[in-house]
Amino acid sequence: MSGNSALGVLLAGFSGIGSQDHQSAMYEPALRAQDGCAIVGVVASSADDKAVAHAAAERLGVPCHDDLATALERPEVGAVSVAVPLAERRRTIITAARAGKHILADKPLAATLEDVLAVAEAVAEAGVALVPAHHQRLNPVLRAAAAAVGAGRVGLPWDIQADFVVAGGDPAPTGELFNLGLYPLDVVRSVIGLDAHRVHAIPIRSGRTSDDLADDGATLMVDYDNGVTATIVVMRAPRVGDLAPGGVLRHRYRISGSHGVLAVDALRLGLQVRTASRNDRGWTGQNTTAALIDSFHRAARGGTCAPGIADAVHVHRVLDAAQRSTRSGRPELIADSQGVSQ
Amino acid sequence: MTEEPRYGVLVVGAGFIADAHIQAITVDPRAELVGLVDVDPGRAMAFSYSHGGVRWTADLDTALGWPEVDAVIVCTPNMTHASIAEQVVRAGKHLLVEKPLATTVADARQAARRFADAGLTLAAAHTHRCYDYGMAVKDAIDEGVVGQPLLARLAILGSWIWPDWRAWVLDPAKSGGHSLHNGVHLLDLATWWLGDEPVSIYARGQKQSSAALRIYDHLDMTVTVANGATASCEMSRAHRPAGFGARELLVAGTDGVLSQDWDGESSLLFSDQGLQAVPAVGGNGFARQLSAWLDSIEGAEPVMPTADAVRAVALGVAAELSIARREPVMLEEVLDLTGASV
Repeated sequence: MSGNSALGVLLAGFSGIGSQDHQSAMYEPALRAQDGCAIVGVVASSADDKAVAHAAAERLGVPCHDDLATALERPEVGAVSVAVPLAERRRTIITAARAGKHILADKPLAATLEDVLAVAEAVAEAGVALVPAHHQRLNPVLRAAAAAVGAGRVGLPWDIQADFVVAGGDPAPTGELFNLGLYPLDVVRSVIGLDAHRVHAIPIRSGRTSDDLADDGATLMVDYDNGVTATIVVMRAPRVGDLAPGGVLRHRYRISGSHGVLAVDALRLGLQVRTASRNDRGWTGQNTTAALIDSFHRAARGGTCAPGIADAVHVHRVLDAAQRSTRSGRPELIADSQGVSQ
Repeated sequence: MTEEPRYGVLVVGAGFIADAHIQAITVDPRAELVGLVDVDPGRAMAFSYSHGGVRWTADLDTALGWPEVDAVIVCTPNMTHASIAEQVVRAGKHLLVEKPLATTVADARQAARRFADAGLTLAAAHTHRCYDYGMAVKDAIDEGVVGQPLLARLAILGSWIWPDWRAWVLDPAKSGGHSLHNGVHLLDLATWWLGDEPVSIYARGQKQSSAALRIYDHLDMTVTVANGATASCEMSRAHRPAGFGARELLVAGTDGVLSQDWDGESSLLFSDQGLQAVPAVGGNGFARQLSAWLDSIEGAEPVMPTADAVRAVALGVAAELSIARREPVMLEEVLDLTGASV
């Protein structure tokens, strides 16, 4: 239900990396379900997603604009949900920010670290809220884990081992280190609250392509402040029989601390539904996309962005160093917030 | 009809691991415990009393002269392995030596060469190759269950297990460091699973139990093999609470994924001591190892070829070197060194 006070949201783009359309699959349904938000218009990112944009506009009963600038002029647009092709994200987000609109940004936030830093600068200058779609950290299991670690229940954390493995689905042309890596990196940051300063990344390659960037994932050996280490495996594995293509096969963290160990399985939640043809895990409470939209709504109303642009900058700094490491074959330093290597 | 023992076995070193080897001897009809050696006469005598009063001595050469000795199992500190191996080969006996085969690549190679030249069987006790889980994973991979393996992840975690500062394991000059003492189990097993030659290793170590430790009680090591697959190995004696123990594994390949969780094949016991796993009854890895060693004496293919034992030493040495340098180390470098030691 939308009222006069609802946050008017423009859906900008129905594209992403490769065949991704998180706008249709995730953000649009979650925005519709959020009482405080109202979708007030759509705009395609290019000719490629024009048909999808028109269909969405018809389905939602809202205008389909020909271009972003025109759409942003509408006063009822208070925020933009950006899911344009990766290369267009910098320009689209900066345009929206300069128009004074709050932003829900598909992940990854932009194609390069340079783009991400430019976005961060524009958002800060405009004074708008930006929530990157790092929704995995909002998994209730992981939020509880972050709270437990934050409360000292394992003492001082000194090592994290993490796996984020999806099975099947369309491989990302950018490589899965870049496509999927930000999720566990963001979760680790949310759990231990420390900055990373060095990373050694070893790519996982199935040989499906000779493209240097198109890895199937990587093993990331990250050094954080205070001597804390993390080894994070991120990977797109082959499809497995009882999981929908692209489904998360393994998502876990083990946080070792001075006084205990927290073993976290982010898939251990909710209801399990098994039939002759299904083996699905269901949510008993709010799913991560709904939680993301709630967070976005709160941020647009003046609350804290959680996750926020600083989280996006951090993970992109790590990813940038990790990509350099896969090329150099050695550990790489992660640039600090001033853009200077530590 | 009862089979007559064909191999009189001498056990050298009366530490706790000798018990496991002696239990294996007692269940193998081909083997008979015929003697015991320990440099500490009191310990040797006490151990003898607890094992049926078997003949004992504090002098290895004396024991090697006993006519009923056909083969020797060595359970002494790591730094003694090379010199004892030389005594054993000179005496014309077969040898099963606790891992690591030696603390340097040069010593390991020398032992391998001496036994081969003498036509005697040398095996290093990489017992995890003979444990149920180690064999089950190897069999599944060899059967092509996961296709071409791309990633192996193995964690063997525990809390402090050693005595006090006087423990020889804590002296890197005696043990070779934790990478050689316990790390070799994982480095060998995961490399064996992947079925290709290791090319490089990147390792990190932590000293969690005490900053004054001279070994790393937590090891985080990633091996890359020739076909590009990686093995991520975590070995710990650093975890808390006391008594904590867990083993986890994941293998992902081009066609599938296999895994075993920390509570795999275990029941969970809730008691006043907290939550504990009650593992399923499994096969006796030490008995299997002994049997395989006796088989190889009789001409069968060894489960643990000598070349693999030398390679495991090289991996352990390279891991220690990588930790010290904070850089990946190419195996080629370690294998080119003579007497490489860190």
